[in-house]
Amino acid sequence: MNEVSKTGNVFYTFKGLLLKPEVSSFLIFIIMFVITATLQESFFTVKSIVRNINAFTPLILLAMGQAVVIVAGGLDLSSGAALSLFTCVLTTVMKRNDPVTGIYAILVTFAVAILVGMVNGVGIGYLRIPPVIVTFATSYMWLGIALFLRPTPGGESVDWFRAFYKIDAVAGAPAVLKTIGTFIPPALVLLIIGCLLWFIISKTRTGRYIYAVGSNIESAYVSGIDTARTQMLACIINSVFIFLAALFFVGQNQSGDARMGGPLTLKSIAAVVVGGISLTGGRGSVYFALLGALTLSFVNKIIFFANIPNAYQTLVSGIIIIVAIAGPAYVMFSKPKQ
Amino acid sequence: MNTVMSRPKFLSFRIYEKYKKIVVVFILIVLLFVFGATTLPNFLSVEQVFMTIKLASFTALFALCQMIVIAGGGSGLDLSVGYTATITAVLTASIMDGKNEPLLLAVLIALALGVMIGLANGVLTSYLKLPPLVVTLAIADILQGIVNAYVAGKAITGRPSPILVTIAAKFTGKFPNILFVLILVTSITMIILNKTKWGQILFGVGANERTAYLSGINVKKVRCIAFTVSGVLSSLMGLLLLGNMGIAFKDMGSNYVLPSIAAVVIGGVSLAGGEGNYLGVILGAIFLQTLTNLLIAFGLGDAGKWLGFGIILFAMLSAYASNRRSR
Repeated sequence: MNEVSKTGNVFYTFKGLLLKPEVSSFLIFIIMFVITATLQESFFTVKSIVRNINAFTPLILLAMGQAVVIVAGGLDLSSGAALSLFTCVLTTVMKRNDPVTGIYAILVTFAVAILVGMVNGVGIGYLRIPPVIVTFATSYMWLGIALFLRPTPGGESVDWFRAFYKIDAVAGAPAVLKTIGTFIPPALVLLIIGCLLWFIISKTRTGRYIYAVGSNIESAYVSGIDTARTQMLACIINSVFIFLAALFFVGQNQSGDARMGGPLTLKSIAAVVVGGISLTGGRGSVYFALLGALTLSFVNKIIFFANIPNAYQTLVSGIIIIVAIAGPAYVMFSKPKQ
Repeated sequence: MNTVMSRPKFLSFRIYEKYKKIVVVFILIVLLFVFGATTLPNFLSVEQVFMTIKLASFTALFALCQMIVIAGGGSGLDLSVGYTATITAVLTASIMDGKNEPLLLAVLIALALGVMIGLANGVLTSYLKLPPLVVTLAIADILQGIVNAYVAGKAITGRPSPILVTIAAKFTGKFPNILFVLILVTSITMIILNKTKWGQILFGVGANERTAYLSGINVKKVRCIAFTVSGVLSSLMGLLLLGNMGIAFKDMGSNYVLPSIAAVVIGGVSLAGGEGNYLGVILGAIFLQTLTNLLIAFGLGDAGKWLGFGIILFAMLSAYASNRRSR
């Protein structure tokens, strides 16, 4: 009798553990990691790790930014369009033969990024329009402005901007930096900057306010938190993450493209969900968005290695998102009745 | 976000609220037309107006699917509507092949597809409690994936039945035939939503899940049905789109997804659920189409079109939001 209830208990705790979104998303991540590592023979070589980091970085940065907004009770459907806009601004301000313009471009784009975050924040926080629809509206604004600046992909970039992608490619870079660059790709540095940014913010009052506002906006407001300002700050933090991704993109491609970021928006939301962060806000760790983005990226690699034709890739990634988010829910509903 | 404190609303106040937005949209449409007529020649010709209404009808019909799901509440949203239409059109085009006889079969296939897709959305969102935004997005991915795989390496053959072409593309005199469909659909929708208990149940579930549950309504079932209806309607829309365009291609429906949401919002329907006036949504669709026409006519190109679209949408959202704020 005692034993039966004991095993039942153990079973229940195990399921309870699986139920925790963090645990299940971590398990899915491990599974995808192992599969990718077995499929790709050169997975653990420096070269392939660097290449993977380069390929995954934009989505990771966007997903982490998205996670901040989602935790604050919002959602950003404009992040891909904002990314495109930033690349267009960067490449419009820069002149190829004038290295100083690179610095101007970074400053101008940073200001644009803050502005973009503020517009989204005003809509979500101050006007309290449903986030889905207001960022949907702003995404068209970003797309329109980006198309004004750059109707077709292109633009100029200073040479040293390649340092955001590959230090080796910059002619005048010091040898020490080049050596470091082969082991620590700039993309990783950008990721670390992003993580540090969130680490610092999460230790401040704003970090806690973001969670408070996301989990219950009414009680947060009644407790004296400026909810609108907090949500706007979340949007600005998101914009900074997108800005980092834009630096990487321009470093990699040396050009701007008004339509390049579009598909990344929904992927970033999917990554956040796969990372176990609740779309209702207030719950989940922003770092797990990184995990979710990695999981999705590994899935894409697996699809590539499994020799599935290109045409089936959307299909398979759609199915995998459904399975990844429905799996934990299924476990929840099959749990033994108490 | 939708925990805005509810306050008692008197009936007269609600009616005033309900029609105020419709009047606002109507005035805006008139303003757009006046602006267009004074600055552009031929903007107000009968042909042009009916053409606008014809194009808006498709958006409006997609917006109906959207409105039903949104009205059910629970942050419901169906991002798969356009993709459902695409897959139906692509799969039925070769069956119809320009003949009228296989139309019945095509309709049956459309219904079956619609029920399947709608049920998948409904079960995943309401019974497994997954966020509708992500579920319908993933379903949309899956549908587009199936279409891509089906299309890969071969051309999509087949044309719509002549009956479909007549309904969707042709005009009776200057009157587009699709408008008859829209009028019919509108009447049925208005009757079901306002005069039968089905409408009451749907709005009840959307307005207050808990109250609806305590009144003995199966909330999950209602939301699941809302998604299924949306699936079936958007699948049938695939046939109409095919009729209008004459051929099927793999991106034919996806352009309607976001305008369908925009039309619902401009039509004054709260995304929080619990309400929905289809007349407003139709006006919203017409407003969007007129705006698009104007921006294109001014030769602003893609950039101006999207920028104008975004700014107007943002402005309207802000205007609506200002009378919803409670603090």
